[in-house]
Amino acid sequence: MTITTPTLHRSPGWLRWAWLVPAVFLVIFLGVPLVSLAAQIVSPDTISYFTDPLPWRVAGLATGQALLSTALALLLGLPMANVLTRYRFPGRRWALALATVPFVLPTVVVALAFRALLGASLGSGLAIVVLAHAYLNLAVVVRIVGARWATIDPRFETVARTLRADRLTAFRTVTLPALAPAIASAAAIVFVFSFTSLGIVLLLGDANTRTLESLVLRQTSVLLDFQGAAISAAIQAMVVGSVLLWAARQRSSGGTFRGGHLIRPDGFARIVVGIVIALTLLIVLAPVAALVWSSLRSSSGWTLSWWSSVFGAQTIDAGSTRIGSPLAAMGRSLAYALLTGIVAAIVGGMAAVSVLSGRIGRAFALATALPLGISAATLGLGTLLAYGREPLDLRATGMLVPMAHALIAVPLVVAVATPTLRAADSRLVTVAATLRARPSRAWWTAYGPILRTVMVAAGGLACAVSLGEFGAASFLARADGLTVPLVIARLLGRPGEASFGVAAVMAVILVVMTTALVAAVDKGGRRS
Amino acid sequence: MTHTGLTVNDLVIGYGVPLHTAFTFAVSPGTVMAIVGPSGCGKSTLLSTLAGVTPALAGQVTIDGRDITTLPTHERRIAMVFQEPLLFPHLNVRDNVAYGQRRMGKSRVQARQEADRLLAWVGLEGLGERAVAQLSGGQAQRVSLARALAAEPDALLLDEPFSALDAPLRSRLANDVLAIVAGATIPAIHVTHDPEEAATMAHGNPGGSILSM
Amino acid sequence: MKRIPTVTVALIATSMFVLAACSSDSPSSEETAASGPVTVQLLTHDSFALSEDVIADFEASSGITLEVVSGGDAGSMVAGAILAAGAPTADVMFGVDNTLVTRTLDEGVFEPYTSPESSALRPELADQTFEGRVTPIDFGDVCINIDDTWFAAEGIAAPTTLEDLANPTYKDLLVVQDPGTSSPGLAFLLSTVSRYGDAWPDYWQRLRDNGVKVSGSWSDAYYGDFTFGGGGDRPIVVSYATSPPAEIVYAEGEPPARPSTSVMTDGCYRQIEYAGILAGTDQPAAAQQVIDWLLSPEVQADIPLNMFVFPARQDIPLPAVFTEFAAQVDSAEQLPAEFVAENVGDLLAKWGSVMGR
Repeated sequence: MTITTPTLHRSPGWLRWAWLVPAVFLVIFLGVPLVSLAAQIVSPDTISYFTDPLPWRVAGLATGQALLSTALALLLGLPMANVLTRYRFPGRRWALALATVPFVLPTVVVALAFRALLGASLGSGLAIVVLAHAYLNLAVVVRIVGARWATIDPRFETVARTLRADRLTAFRTVTLPALAPAIASAAAIVFVFSFTSLGIVLLLGDANTRTLESLVLRQTSVLLDFQGAAISAAIQAMVVGSVLLWAARQRSSGGTFRGGHLIRPDGFARIVVGIVIALTLLIVLAPVAALVWSSLRSSSGWTLSWWSSVFGAQTIDAGSTRIGSPLAAMGRSLAYALLTGIVAAIVGGMAAVSVLSGRIGRAFALATALPLGISAATLGLGTLLAYGREPLDLRATGMLVPMAHALIAVPLVVAVATPTLRAADSRLVTVAATLRARPSRAWWTAYGPILRTVMVAAGGLACAVSLGEFGAASFLARADGLTVPLVIARLLGRPGEASFGVAAVMAVILVVMTTALVAAVDKGGRRS
Repeated sequence: MTHTGLTVNDLVIGYGVPLHTAFTFAVSPGTVMAIVGPSGCGKSTLLSTLAGVTPALAGQVTIDGRDITTLPTHERRIAMVFQEPLLFPHLNVRDNVAYGQRRMGKSRVQARQEADRLLAWVGLEGLGERAVAQLSGGQAQRVSLARALAAEPDALLLDEPFSALDAPLRSRLANDVLAIVAGATIPAIHVTHDPEEAATMAHGNPGGSILSM
Repeated sequence: MKRIPTVTVALIATSMFVLAACSSDSPSSEETAASGPVTVQLLTHDSFALSEDVIADFEASSGITLEVVSGGDAGSMVAGAILAAGAPTADVMFGVDNTLVTRTLDEGVFEPYTSPESSALRPELADQTFEGRVTPIDFGDVCINIDDTWFAAEGIAAPTTLEDLANPTYKDLLVVQDPGTSSPGLAFLLSTVSRYGDAWPDYWQRLRDNGVKVSGSWSDAYYGDFTFGGGGDRPIVVSYATSPPAEIVYAEGEPPARPSTSVMTDGCYRQIEYAGILAGTDQPAAAQQVIDWLLSPEVQADIPLNMFVFPARQDIPLPAVFTEFAAQVDSAEQLPAEFVAENVGDLLAKWGSVMGR
């Protein structure tokens, strides 16, 4: 066994207590809301609802769909992760940031774009849902696998090739084993996102592409069948928990950390890199191009009035509170995103190093991943019951939305950080220690650089989560505190050319904001 | 097959633009050519061009009369050892050494037998089951040498292989490398920034040379 | 592996402890002095909108600070209110409609209150207050919308009745929303149940045979499938009686003289939106003032152009775009709220099996 786990006696003292940070955070923002909700709903006869075949059948359908979505996301995302995180080429940072864009596009926008591009040939159903899920989750694969890939010394493959392995064999026998835990992590998260998907399934799916999340929504919002909803939510949490447990069990093998060294593509590699970059831009930008087009069109031809209405007027509807100022929504979304990024990176980072320290282990990693399995409706209702009324009404603080976003982002941070951190060579700690560094200094020498690389990758993803999140925000945002996705949803909820045109403008702005923010985070992290 | 060694004719290296004037040299089997020069002058690029990792801009490379200039890395039969041992972390010591044998189509059993033989040759008998993370720096670099030899290369490239090691270990390993090159009768190129080390390697076996960059 | 149960148990135990700590705090929470500034929280769904100056005028004249809190879409808002019944997350709730109102009454969500302004309610709404527990504020009709431009270009007469929609002339031209996930979708289903009684599944079977398309949400149907909205290929869509005036109000630049869509007045379903005082509020008096205000002529006159529904008062002049282009439906379909509450689950299941969804 080649797992290299640093042991506690070599680690600084504070590491022993690092787990308290994520634990307290999870208890406050996940545990308390869930218990508040369960206390309202669960009764002795809730159990009898488990025999209802409907949620089980839906779980089966969703499993098949999510497996397909995951496979496709990996197929497209792995080459992207390879090229975008390992090779040197002009505009690399921007291309990497662009690959995050699909993750933040509001599902209704993605659905409209996909229907515009593919609806005629695919119609509604499994195929287009799987495509849309793969598209939305590209960033998950690129970020999680890319963070690990970037830390693998490219010379491992060179060595393998001088030992008579062709490129493919070298990848299969050397790189793949090192990537496996990161791929498992990414696959688990894509699976979970596809399995619990709501918007895409409602908009592009048919009878056979439902998810438990859509069932929960119907049971809570239309049927007001809370017992049934609790069972559906519980089944969903069980499936998600099992998948995450599987991912947490994937062992990591070490690999020398050598961050920041990009490969200069030559010859064959140059062609491959070029093709992958072109495909990345095409895949990512096709729906965005459709949005830009919509933002410049009206029934009478080309127009700039949607854009000027966003940047010119105080509110989209002068004299009305209906949408409020789009500029204010942008500022708010940015502030929430930064806050989410910082909180999630700290909480998730502490969780990851706690897992590393060995004492808390995988059970704790699993607990930090739990928010992924909790539906937005469940989380929103629970938070409202716990912190939306006397004696503890926190809505006015404006903190509920970013905290909910951080909660959703923490599992992603852990997923990015753990496989990479676990692979860091703990011998570095020993080496540094023999050079008479104090434990804390030794630990930072060994883990500092890798931790920063990882936190930046993860923080960028967390920012993206916040920028694009809709479900929890729709419960927790105050009417005068809308985020950009909420504004888009409201615009699309009413008729009229201006509604659609301005929604398209806001979606384009969301794309720009995401790209800029993620690129800035990447840049800030790379600068030493 | 005639064992004429490694021949380089008018080889131009670089990434798009030439990094250095054209190289012409020959290294006979069983000898070491030491390349010495400050860092950043293209020593590593030269090795990576010889190994086929970086394409040559012009010129020709042959081994034992075989033109390998345009062959992919894995068909060149040129093994490489770096400053860090770069042992595959998911494999134990024996399977690291057996890697090249496996790629040559040997069975797992055969490959492991050969690996054990080579481990004994580099003085690491009985360490086959070890995890690579448990090796000392000197041991790891020996394993790396054994792994390179296991692929039965026609030439050996060494890119600053001793610079991570302390002085006593260096001279021991230098002797080992010289013995290995002589024993396997293959040409070797040894890159270093240390003129003293270059002299040791070039003159350790008869017929060696030094190239200053 | 052995650690999992311990940690899980610890987490649950800790969260319960914190929960207990939170709830045991309640007696010590500070009492709001009656003389000080009063804040009323108004819980609404995410389609709520009123003009800023109307709200500001109310705050200035009443001394009440109005804090509008969103509970998500209408269904989620109602779900949240039911779960918090007795210890509400706000003081007043606006926006529960006649498909969901019965359940809120069963669960004791509201405290009875009859506003003095109720005397001005339209007669058909005046008796729909469920013994004074809720107050009708506005109503709207979910109706089939027609893209007139498309029909004019094709030279086909637009459909005028529900029965027409099953006619092969209109094959593959209709898009509706899934009643399980969309409020107008559910309203349209209820409209067919009201019209056809027990034979409604046959009607839907005929719609299905005639190529009806089912979409997940109103926006998706209107902007994705409807020929007018965004370049879809279906000129008939389930939308609202007020969509044509909205088209004028939210047009680009100079509004067109007429909307290019119109409303089919047959088979409309009436949705009534109610407001009520949430039981357990510690601001009952101020909450009553908010209900009165929602029924006041100022708010009622402000409603049409903000929410594109009709005011519940009978004495409010409508804006010109409404009188000209909104469909005034005289005979909208409606089902008793109790019937809807009892049967909506079965209706959806039955609809799902007819439509293969």
